[in-house]
Amino acid sequence: MTGPLVRAAGVHKSFGDHHVLRGVDLDVDAGTTTAIIGPSGSGKTTILRSLNVLERPDSGTIRIDDVEVDFATLPPKGGAAGQQIAALRAQSGMVFQAHNLFPHKTVIQNVLEGPVQVQKRPLEQAVDEATALLDQVGLGDKADQYPFQLSGGQQQRVGIARALALKPRVMLFDEPTSALDPELVGEVLSVIKDLAAEGWTSVLVTHEIRFAEHVADQVLFLDHGVVVERGPSAQVIGDPREERTQQFLKRILDPA
Amino acid sequence: MRHVLRAFALVLLMVAVASSCTTDGSDDRPVVRVGTEGTYPPFSFHDPDSKQLTGYDIDVIKAVAKQAGWRLEFVETQFDAIFAALQAKRIDVIANQVSINPEREGKYGLSSAYTYSHGVIVVKKGTKGITSLADLKGRTTAQSTTSNWSAVAKKAGAKVEGVEGFAQAAALVSQGRVDAIVNDNIAVLDYLNTTGSDKIEIAGNAGDEVSKQALAFRKGDPRLEEADRALQELRADGTLTKISQKYFKADVSAANDGTVDVSGGRKGKSDADTVKDAAWPMLRGLLKATIPITIISFAIGLALAVAAALARLSGKLLLSGIARTYVSIIRGTPLLVQLFIVFYGLPEIGIDLAPWPAAILALSLNVGGYAAEIVRSAILSVPRGQFEAASTIGMGYWQTMRRIVFPQAARIAVPPLSNTLISLVKDTSLLSVVLVTELFREAVYAASAAQIFMPLYTVAALYYWIVCAGLSLVQGRLETRLNRFVAS
Repeated sequence: MTGPLVRAAGVHKSFGDHHVLRGVDLDVDAGTTTAIIGPSGSGKTTILRSLNVLERPDSGTIRIDDVEVDFATLPPKGGAAGQQIAALRAQSGMVFQAHNLFPHKTVIQNVLEGPVQVQKRPLEQAVDEATALLDQVGLGDKADQYPFQLSGGQQQRVGIARALALKPRVMLFDEPTSALDPELVGEVLSVIKDLAAEGWTSVLVTHEIRFAEHVADQVLFLDHGVVVERGPSAQVIGDPREERTQQFLKRILDPA
Repeated sequence: MRHVLRAFALVLLMVAVASSCTTDGSDDRPVVRVGTEGTYPPFSFHDPDSKQLTGYDIDVIKAVAKQAGWRLEFVETQFDAIFAALQAKRIDVIANQVSINPEREGKYGLSSAYTYSHGVIVVKKGTKGITSLADLKGRTTAQSTTSNWSAVAKKAGAKVEGVEGFAQAAALVSQGRVDAIVNDNIAVLDYLNTTGSDKIEIAGNAGDEVSKQALAFRKGDPRLEEADRALQELRADGTLTKISQKYFKADVSAANDGTVDVSGGRKGKSDADTVKDAAWPMLRGLLKATIPITIISFAIGLALAVAAALARLSGKLLLSGIARTYVSIIRGTPLLVQLFIVFYGLPEIGIDLAPWPAAILALSLNVGGYAAEIVRSAILSVPRGQFEAASTIGMGYWQTMRRIVFPQAARIAVPPLSNTLISLVKDTSLLSVVLVTELFREAVYAASAAQIFMPLYTVAALYYWIVCAGLSLVQGRLETRLNRFVAS
């Protein structure tokens, strides 16, 4: 497969009368980090959730690696449509704003659920890998705790380990630090930064503009369902060309 | 899910075994099923010592069977359901002092009479001014609504209060709530004999009204002729007289002067002895019927509830419509009516279930209807994000339900489901109407044989309470376990 690892083309999505995505294109090269920024209601979370079909686009195509779905021709329901969606979804791992850990399972059970129950990998091997992942996100000593016993930052790091355990081609982060107390944001961002350094491909919706500037290779600025500006992070954040981007960044970086 | 399936298969197996348990076929005499109350001394009751079904009517039908070459199977049911059981072909003949009247002669095949009784008027001891039917004009009497005596009292101008059985009527009279009872002399004398009551007395004869009792078959049943022939022979050879002498020290099998002694060799027992003797059969009813039926019905009911809840949540119009209708019907109709439809109604359209499967079917459907809404709201209480997280790690619908949703929903559903289970334990007491001999039925047997109620029903209540208290204890421990993953 040549070209970008992830390609979304002409994605449209409406909720009732509200046209949230108006033809969004997105390319992500393997091993890079892409940050999507924009005001609330701009559609940035919707395009991210379209990449794993938590929101089903009305039209457009989404391809990750060698799995491509054309939503204009996908049947509205039925087994064939379900199989295509499942195949696309299996390409990515998702980290939610509200972590969505399984509260009735311990930390390590949360991480093991996908590899053991879905991918049917041998338990012993999966446990070794899960333990290594928890060490990697700094929670090796919390394996047997329940999610409610952890801080918000720790919960979010378990969420990252759970997504990584499936060895996806691309990691999707939906405002992973927005629900956290400010002093807990750093520990989550540092894990994401480490992943970028290790060569994981990531797409990240965030309000942490400075973090995006430092870690992301590419930044997209979305407003009213269209990509207003895209490019290297230093350019889009450091030297935006579009007026709307400038206004947004000024508002968010210098709120007073 | 595997556990649920396994439990379900086990339950089906048990139902199948229970329904195939019929008597062995080594005897080639035709089987005749006899419906009788078993709670109506001295005609049909359980001997307090041997626990065997006995009584005047039982001895008569046994003698008839011997003469006619039948093999008998006794089916015990309450009188109010006995004609329904005959029509539903659950029994072939009623031997339970069925009084002959024109209405019944039109509807059923009645044999010649084997009991002749006189009507008497019963009042509170010391009452003045009521000695004959004429005195009943404008007064209130307590009567079994289906009995002949009810019609006699009405004809005399009395206002009739419907009751279930003579014991209840006697209580109303002795409490002064009604003025009198019209009933047959044998039943009244038996009551006075077994209870030793000095609160009520016989004030006089109800005219020269004679009530005749007969065996009742379905209309057109050829066995009626065999029975009549047998009765004629038994009357001729003195067998009927002998049976009557045994129970009444008089011959009530022919027209008589109404002087009977009903003590019949049955000796009175102390309340303590009665309770002691009844405690074991009641416990046996609890262990062999009440508890297993509760467990099986709850398991099937829960499976139905989950199915109905998922159907309602499916968003498919037809499925959710069916589930909604099911829940609405179950919650909108009394359990007793559901039991009667399953047991006495379904046979009329060719679905003939034995007592246990019928009981389990009705109770399971009932539990399913009530628990469906509990399960549905518990599933709805699981946050949307849990479904999303499950689908992003690649889980399908059933895997998501089984591993992610149900365990969390269980925490919400356990307290209300425990209520349903505890209600079910108590609802099984209704099963006596579909011929299941469970805890309460045993209590009714013992109470009617001994004519004492308070101590026996109290023991029954105690048994139910112990089981329900135990269940509450289990509920508490289960809740603690399910709450382990929630911040306290």
